[in-house]
Amino acid sequence: MSQLSSQICDHCGLRFTGRSRPEEEEPQRLHFCCAGCQAVYHALHGAGLEDFYALRQSWSGQARPVDAKTLDAEDRQFLDDPTFLEENSELLEDGTRRIDLHLEGVHCAGCIWLVERMPRHVDGAVEARLELTRQRVSLRWNPDRVGLSQMAKWLSKFGFMANPLQAENVEARRLSSNKMLIRVGICWAIAANVMLLTIALYAGLDAVSDPGLYAAILWTTLGLSTISLAVGGSVFFRRAWTTMRMARLSMDVPISLGILVGWGHSAWVIFIGHGEVWFDSITVLIAALLTARYLQIRGNSMAADAAERLVALLPRTARRVLNFGGAEESVETVAADALQVGDRVEVRSGDVVPADGCVIRGVGQVSRAVLTGESRPESVAPGTLLEAGTTNLASPIYVDVTATGEATRVGRLMAWVHSRREHRAPIVQLADRLGGYFIALVLLAALATAIAWSFIDPSRAVANVVALLVIACPCALGMATPLALTVGVGQAARRGIHVKHDDVIEALQAMTDIVFDKTGTLTEGRPSVVDVFGDRSAAARASALETRSSHPLARALLDWARDHNDHAQTLVEDVEEVPGAGIKGLVDGRPVALGRLSWIDEMAPLSPAARSWAESRAADGLTPVAVAVDGEIKSVLALGDSLRPEALDVVRGLSERGVAVHLLSGDHPQVVDAAAQRLGIDASRSLGGVTPEDKLRYIEDLQQSRPDVRVAMVGDGVNDAAALQAATVGIAVKGGAEASLVAADVFIVQSGVAPVEELLTGTRRVMGVVHRNLIGSGIYNVFGITLAAFGFISPLAAAILMPISSLGVVASSLAQRSFAEEDETLPASPQPALRELPTTTTVPEPTP
Amino acid sequence: MTILYLLIPIAMVMAAAAVIAFIWAVRRGQFDDLDTPAVRMLFDDED
Repeated sequence: MSQLSSQICDHCGLRFTGRSRPEEEEPQRLHFCCAGCQAVYHALHGAGLEDFYALRQSWSGQARPVDAKTLDAEDRQFLDDPTFLEENSELLEDGTRRIDLHLEGVHCAGCIWLVERMPRHVDGAVEARLELTRQRVSLRWNPDRVGLSQMAKWLSKFGFMANPLQAENVEARRLSSNKMLIRVGICWAIAANVMLLTIALYAGLDAVSDPGLYAAILWTTLGLSTISLAVGGSVFFRRAWTTMRMARLSMDVPISLGILVGWGHSAWVIFIGHGEVWFDSITVLIAALLTARYLQIRGNSMAADAAERLVALLPRTARRVLNFGGAEESVETVAADALQVGDRVEVRSGDVVPADGCVIRGVGQVSRAVLTGESRPESVAPGTLLEAGTTNLASPIYVDVTATGEATRVGRLMAWVHSRREHRAPIVQLADRLGGYFIALVLLAALATAIAWSFIDPSRAVANVVALLVIACPCALGMATPLALTVGVGQAARRGIHVKHDDVIEALQAMTDIVFDKTGTLTEGRPSVVDVFGDRSAAARASALETRSSHPLARALLDWARDHNDHAQTLVEDVEEVPGAGIKGLVDGRPVALGRLSWIDEMAPLSPAARSWAESRAADGLTPVAVAVDGEIKSVLALGDSLRPEALDVVRGLSERGVAVHLLSGDHPQVVDAAAQRLGIDASRSLGGVTPEDKLRYIEDLQQSRPDVRVAMVGDGVNDAAALQAATVGIAVKGGAEASLVAADVFIVQSGVAPVEELLTGTRRVMGVVHRNLIGSGIYNVFGITLAAFGFISPLAAAILMPISSLGVVASSLAQRSFAEEDETLPASPQPALRELPTTTTVPEPTP
Repeated sequence: MTILYLLIPIAMVMAAAAVIAFIWAVRRGQFDDLDTPAVRMLFDDED
């Protein structure tokens, strides 16, 4: 194993192990963890924007290497399409256009500064405003001077990817959220004023001391409270009414009842001329509950964005071919929705395929990145099936449409996501049901109290009944449980763990089985050369064949070769990649082949020693690669993907908690078995050589095996979409493809298994908070109702205790430390003085 | 205390004005983004 040093990247400031990206120009040696950081660093310096480093806040965690390819914005051409602009941007009076786009990759002050400087660097850009929390950028530009795709390309130089939003939905949500905010504002204004006025009453003002003023204050507070009821209370009344019509009692029922009784009785008091009024309690109650609901609405809207971004990537227009194959073949532009099955469409170079279909003419390459995360181009020819969302890279192709709109694979995925969203967390449903029983109980208690007291002492009957109704606060059930879940989800999001629905938290609690995908989650995800048999230098020179290859093992071979190469220049010609077998070509004029044992064996038989070595390595879980030069076996390399250090602890922790751990992977079965053994996973629960369909079937079988089984699937997203969907909770790690992110219930932006454990621990704590709230409020209610029924609590005391109890429960939800922030950040910017000196020298890249 | 008959209505009017201003600000989208403006203050404008 080669020596790996730990260095700090000059751009992102994060620690990374392994080779630094080489830097040709020196005065000082620069180190970068990946091509992405290298590119952005130079882009910033090139544009005179080095101040970025002073402003940006430190990242935390591990360096996340980024492929240079992802910074290329060639597939953003559709941003200039007139129809797209028509639908999504607005034309302002001064001739400029304005659009809101989602901007991926922004996370701090430095990014805001950078993005908002665009008008200085891009001619024609008028304004750029970034909203950090929602990762949304508002761009204003002069369409005659610059195109939107150019602006997107400028942003992508710094690693910020611009994606369209579903304009209508986003706007609709913003409006409804604002309407709620207005209600909240009005109700608090009223509550504050009513409280001020009521001070007079507490101070002793009554009908005797100053009848005029007393009446004035009573009537004023009545008027204000009525407004509050109309503006704020109506939210609860409406929901209570709809649920009651369905013969169910939801949380809104007792809340509404409390409000109405409080207001009603106070109004009655005014008319009959004597008694207590509780307008201050009622208005504060309305305002507080409304605030909680507003926070919930605001929290929910952010989750909705992710799903909609995927739909926004589908094109709105398509080019339909008329008279295909005939003499008068022509193309018309139609709305993508207008396509029918059987239509033929032309997909030009750079365009996105508008519907599912089969290629009928044209040979070229497409990128399925949106759906599968594979940025590697795939070849297509007549007969290839394509999905909506694929980008055509090369020459125009013609597609026969087989499914459009909601029937496409993407469309079905969206429909599934939408249906899941209506799903409410079981515990919230339970809370609602309990609330129903609770209110029934409270009403009975109130009735009983009224009857009892009318015999004992009628003058106190009403007061006690009102006290009982006011103090019996179902707030814990109605408000704090969803609040605890929402706050927990928010905290998780700050840690890079994005949970899509509240019910996921509860489902994770009840998890019985967890299925891991091996690559990238339990392992480092990067193969490296572990052992060599035979001629090392021959193997090193042969590895030069892989320079242009995008095969997963290519990188490992090249990195290793760089260490062991004696700096000799190798001339590589006639490289031919044989899919599934290996790669061959001429190195320094001699025929070299590098690849799978079985394939090499056909050309150059392996010696028994080599074979047994290879087999023993394979049994250890490594992948053997053979090297043949001039038709002769020269060496065998063993490549492996090392397990992450924390993987063992996590798996053990899970098993101890009674969760069955499974391992599914597309890797060679022996490799997977070896890994399973090392992790302590039962052999019957680990499978190698698994295809995406196999994964799906495995999960489905698992779910049907026992009635109470709950399966969580942890995958790195690529090709796992179906399996993630099928599992009870799908966890996508390392941000794979858009489609898989949409299919998963949780997506974690960091790689590795440590965040998964953080997720599990965190959800346990959140559920703890929820249970704590329920128990606390249960005790409070039991005591409160009993005391009120026996006349120990006056309505005033009730009016004070009830908001206190609600506040207590809400505070306990807000103050939870489920996903605590750990301080593992490095110094803010890599000043030369603070930078570590590298412990290994970086070797210059061998020229191919 | 009869002055209160004048003061309370005045206070109500002022409160109403504040609420109207709030509604206006919300409709203009000033409450959509509460985090970024705080950070924007840190930037120096070289011109």
